[in-house]
Amino acid sequence: MAILALKKGISAEIYKYRSTFVFWFVLLAPAFIPAINLIAFLRRGDAIVARGGTAWENLMQFSSGPANFLFPFFVIIVALFVNTIESNSNTWKLIYAQPLSRLNVFCSKMLVYIAMLFCSLMLFGLMTYAVGWLVHLANPDLGFADPFNLWHLLGNCFTIFLATLGFGSIHFYLSQRTKNLILPLGIGVGGIVSFMILVQGWEYARYHPYGYHVLSSGPVGTENFSLWSHMEPVYLSLALAAVVFSIAAIDTQRKRII
Amino acid sequence: MESYSIETRELNFYFKDFKALSNVSLQVPTGSIFGFLGPNGAGKTTTIRILLDLFHAPGGSVKLFGKSYETARSAILKQVGALIENPSIYKHLTGRQNLEVIRRMVNVPVSRIDEVLRIVRLVDNADKKAKHYSLGMCQRLGLAAALLTDPELLILDEPTNGLDPSGIIEMRELIIRLNREHGKTIFLSSHILSEIEKLATDVAIIDQGEVLYQGKLDGLRQGSQLTELRVELNHVATAVQVLKTGNFTISEQNGQSLILPIQSRQEIAHVNKLLVDAGLEVYGLSTTAQNLESIFLNLTKKLDQ
Repeated sequence: MAILALKKGISAEIYKYRSTFVFWFVLLAPAFIPAINLIAFLRRGDAIVARGGTAWENLMQFSSGPANFLFPFFVIIVALFVNTIESNSNTWKLIYAQPLSRLNVFCSKMLVYIAMLFCSLMLFGLMTYAVGWLVHLANPDLGFADPFNLWHLLGNCFTIFLATLGFGSIHFYLSQRTKNLILPLGIGVGGIVSFMILVQGWEYARYHPYGYHVLSSGPVGTENFSLWSHMEPVYLSLALAAVVFSIAAIDTQRKRII
Repeated sequence: MESYSIETRELNFYFKDFKALSNVSLQVPTGSIFGFLGPNGAGKTTTIRILLDLFHAPGGSVKLFGKSYETARSAILKQVGALIENPSIYKHLTGRQNLEVIRRMVNVPVSRIDEVLRIVRLVDNADKKAKHYSLGMCQRLGLAAALLTDPELLILDEPTNGLDPSGIIEMRELIIRLNREHGKTIFLSSHILSEIEKLATDVAIIDQGEVLYQGKLDGLRQGSQLTELRVELNHVATAVQVLKTGNFTISEQNGQSLILPIQSRQEIAHVNKLLVDAGLEVYGLSTTAQNLESIFLNLTKKLDQ
């Protein structure tokens, strides 16, 4: 019964995003870095590979660096959007006055948000892989025909996804609590920058929630890579997400719907 | 015995230290158009939000169809359609798509969307984006969403707010039709007395969080033995001051005269004496039966504040 009700909530939640910015954002944002890498490798692939390492190793480095920096912003924007769509349309009271439990409405939105992050990361992985093969078609000598384990890349994306849920839950809750767009964005930028500073030498930087996704990511495409080898930040992230999402769910039961 | 779609007992509600509702007890008869009347800020929307379980009242009880939200939230809300203040509409979607979002939540057949669009006369504009809708169309779309589950009870918060005269007439006709032809019980809030007068069979008047009257609309007229006294005189502004000092409530004034509600014939003489003693020249005194507006004003004392 509860599952059926949740299915209704999720179905309505997905439907409302048609023809919206977030729909295209979830689809196209993961293409941003692969598109730049495609141009870079088509134009200067030889020079890049000549600096050392295999073609796939270079592509993975070119992908993970910018992605680690940009992905938190993506998470913050998606969290803002899935909640401000209700604030801007004045529809919180509409959805909470429907014959579904408050927990159901909350879980529907939370699960769709989590699914958006998951889909984007998987798309990012697949598009990065596609870049290698597209470059191979244009320049077969570059080395993209060498063996490469796609499942390692997708597995790494999945690990990053799990490691993102920690700070992702914070931004989901923040965006539910406030209509203010600047506050969650400011907290996000503060979190990202403070992690980048602290990770330079502070021994407890590994507990910083805005760094879990960076610390869980491994050198895909190299011999040293081993899937599930950096699990501490993933566990920390999942624990944080469980706590924050639970607090948000309890808060939803009590709060006044304006 | 009369059955009630809504029964509240002694609802109290606070916004921090401000008491927004004080012992609000309502009984909305099944099949009625129940007018919930009060000035802006009287507590109408707060009451409605409690009726829809959007706010939780710390004191008192709410029962819809004899059930309480603690035990039967989904079952209650299945039988309730609501339109609360400004329309809740996803502007990037068409009217039909807006209804589809709600339809997916409430699980009714797709054909129901066309039915409710026909009821609110929005079929021709159903596939237009809601951002191109007029306010009247938005209100009708909101009403269509409220009707999707074919609820027994409609709770409408100021449904004519911001509408032009033709929009108001259209909405009024729609509400009457929903009550008479579709058998819906309608709980309708408004701060416009004439609106309630034209629609409601039963009424409750709320001011400063307290219910001042509840019952049949006719009962409000009959219950009031008051008449109005029109006084023509030379200095209206001075007269207003004098009469306020004498504990009278002024319901209307202009350059030449003023109107005040009175309880007895003796008060006519008392008013005259007060004015003459204050050195004012009284040119005429005439009485008329008090209209509903004066009764409302007298109850809420708004003009005096």
